[in-house]
Amino acid sequence: MKEKIENILGSIFGLMFLFLVVLVSVETIGRKVFNFSIQGADELGGYALAIGSTLSFSLALLGRNHIRVDVLHEKFGPRLQAFMNWLSIVSLAAFAIFMAWVAQKVIMDTMAYGSTAQTPWATPLVYPQGIWLAGLAVFALVAFAFAVRATTLLLRGQIAELNEDYQPKSAKEELQEELADIALRSQDSGVKP
Amino acid sequence: MSVTLISLAFFAMVAAMLVGLPIAVAMAAIGIIGGVWSYGMPFIDSIAPVVWGVHNENLLTSIPLFVLLGELLLRSGIADRMYISLSAWFGRLPGGLLHTNIGSCALFAATSGSSVATAATIGTVALPSLLKRGYPVRASLGSIAAGGTLGILIPPSVNMIIYGSLTNTSIGKLFVAGIIPGLLLTAVFMLYILGSSLASGSSMREDKVPMAERIALLTHLVPPMIVFGIVMGSLYFGIATATESAALGVLVALFFVWKSDKLQWVLLRTCFISTARVSGMILLIITAAFILNLTISLTGVAEAMTKWVTGLGLSATGLILGLIVFYLILGMFMDVLSMMVATIPITFPIATALGIDPIWFGIFIILMCELGLITPPVGMNLFVVHGIRPDKGGIEDVMWGALPYAILIILFTILLMVWPEMATWLPTKM
Repeated sequence: MKEKIENILGSIFGLMFLFLVVLVSVETIGRKVFNFSIQGADELGGYALAIGSTLSFSLALLGRNHIRVDVLHEKFGPRLQAFMNWLSIVSLAAFAIFMAWVAQKVIMDTMAYGSTAQTPWATPLVYPQGIWLAGLAVFALVAFAFAVRATTLLLRGQIAELNEDYQPKSAKEELQEELADIALRSQDSGVKP
Repeated sequence: MSVTLISLAFFAMVAAMLVGLPIAVAMAAIGIIGGVWSYGMPFIDSIAPVVWGVHNENLLTSIPLFVLLGELLLRSGIADRMYISLSAWFGRLPGGLLHTNIGSCALFAATSGSSVATAATIGTVALPSLLKRGYPVRASLGSIAAGGTLGILIPPSVNMIIYGSLTNTSIGKLFVAGIIPGLLLTAVFMLYILGSSLASGSSMREDKVPMAERIALLTHLVPPMIVFGIVMGSLYFGIATATESAALGVLVALFFVWKSDKLQWVLLRTCFISTARVSGMILLIITAAFILNLTISLTGVAEAMTKWVTGLGLSATGLILGLIVFYLILGMFMDVLSMMVATIPITFPIATALGIDPIWFGIFIILMCELGLITPPVGMNLFVVHGIRPDKGGIEDVMWGALPYAILIILFTILLMVWPEMATWLPTKM
């Protein structure tokens, strides 16, 4: 389930940026070499980031990549660790919801003034901002679901499980992921570890 | 804003980070609390356009693109093969494969901005053969941990993009400014290996590789060199912005991945997910940093701190020396990315008020981050290299091994103070 979601979100994220790569490259080469310009590559780059970043927030959450310093955490007892892990996911969810709420304010303003981008295309900003809000809402929902689950675990006293699922990612884990990938690619690249 | 209050807020934020709250949350919370406390609820209304502004900033689009570029070259095995080429070329120097470690880390750095990936890849390929051939353990571990730090100094560097976006400094100029210090620091590391190997008397060397074979191996260096050349060339000659050069780099990298028969959907998807995770982590912190930055600029924190520092009668040199100590201590306990974003909004205005060049200060901050990567107890590269060593042994081995390099980085920083042109000259030629 989780892997499926990651695959889907990751694919959308990546394909969107690949499309942007092609567009921006054509624009850059076209401008310098052939003196023609498909205007708007810059503008689309901004929208791609707006949409891509909201997707990436969710993916980083699913992969436990949002950085936490674990120097003191490792020294804490399991109960304090559980409390900090709970506080971390709840505060992260609060921040995610805050951003979604702020985004909704941005859209309200855009609609009230009928704002358009300050570009040759004069794109009505409500379209990119709408997708942006949707992405932030997904992030907020995922974070909220995580926070609810963590709260339930805390209240039930399932401290071990809470710590297992919500602890900060240690350098060791990050390394394990890298090593797994190195093992995978060394099989056929001829570079033996 | 009194300096006491500012210091309290700063320490509260660092404390929240150290007890393990997410870095982004700690920064955003201090920013929002400070802003609302000073201006009430209207402050929230001014956050809204800032958040959209950050997420819609075309300049920051270069972050996912550069991360993707590094991922493509790494996951397709193109970067791994550089090590083989370099070991054939550097193996004859006294210190043998240790030079290869530094050299391949530097080259790897030119294509990827991740120090974990750099140290893990080079370490996995290098450590088993280093230990089998009897290279000193500490020196071997230290060279990889230190070499990995070059990743953020040699462009493209995500840390430089973050610095540039937070301080409104040209990313192209920062990248170009990193080239000379990056090469020189690489040379300093290699000179140290040369010197210490000769001094110890038992300097290791590798067998001679026939010239024809060496030249044949050079082909492995072609793809990363071309990618680096296109990215940096287009920036240097003003053909492209940072985002455009990143896009060109990704396109060329895709071509090389395709040429090495690795262009498959599964590989691409792995790169995509990995890129998204890293970018998401960075972009959330940047979002929080911009919220904090808004509070800092509205409440006049930077002015108050600047006035306080100038009131101390501190010279630019005094300030930088003080900051070296400050960052050395902070870097011992904090992750370097967090350290950077949390401190720049305050240290940057003070530095520029004392007449320090923004580009130079950027390179200085990057050097301080490199230091933070190898200073115990919390040094990412120390953990990584320790984690991959094939034999059993304490983490103190890699700490001792990396110590000389930490000292070299500090000395190099002082050298950069004496000759600031090392960083500032090349960008003026753009």
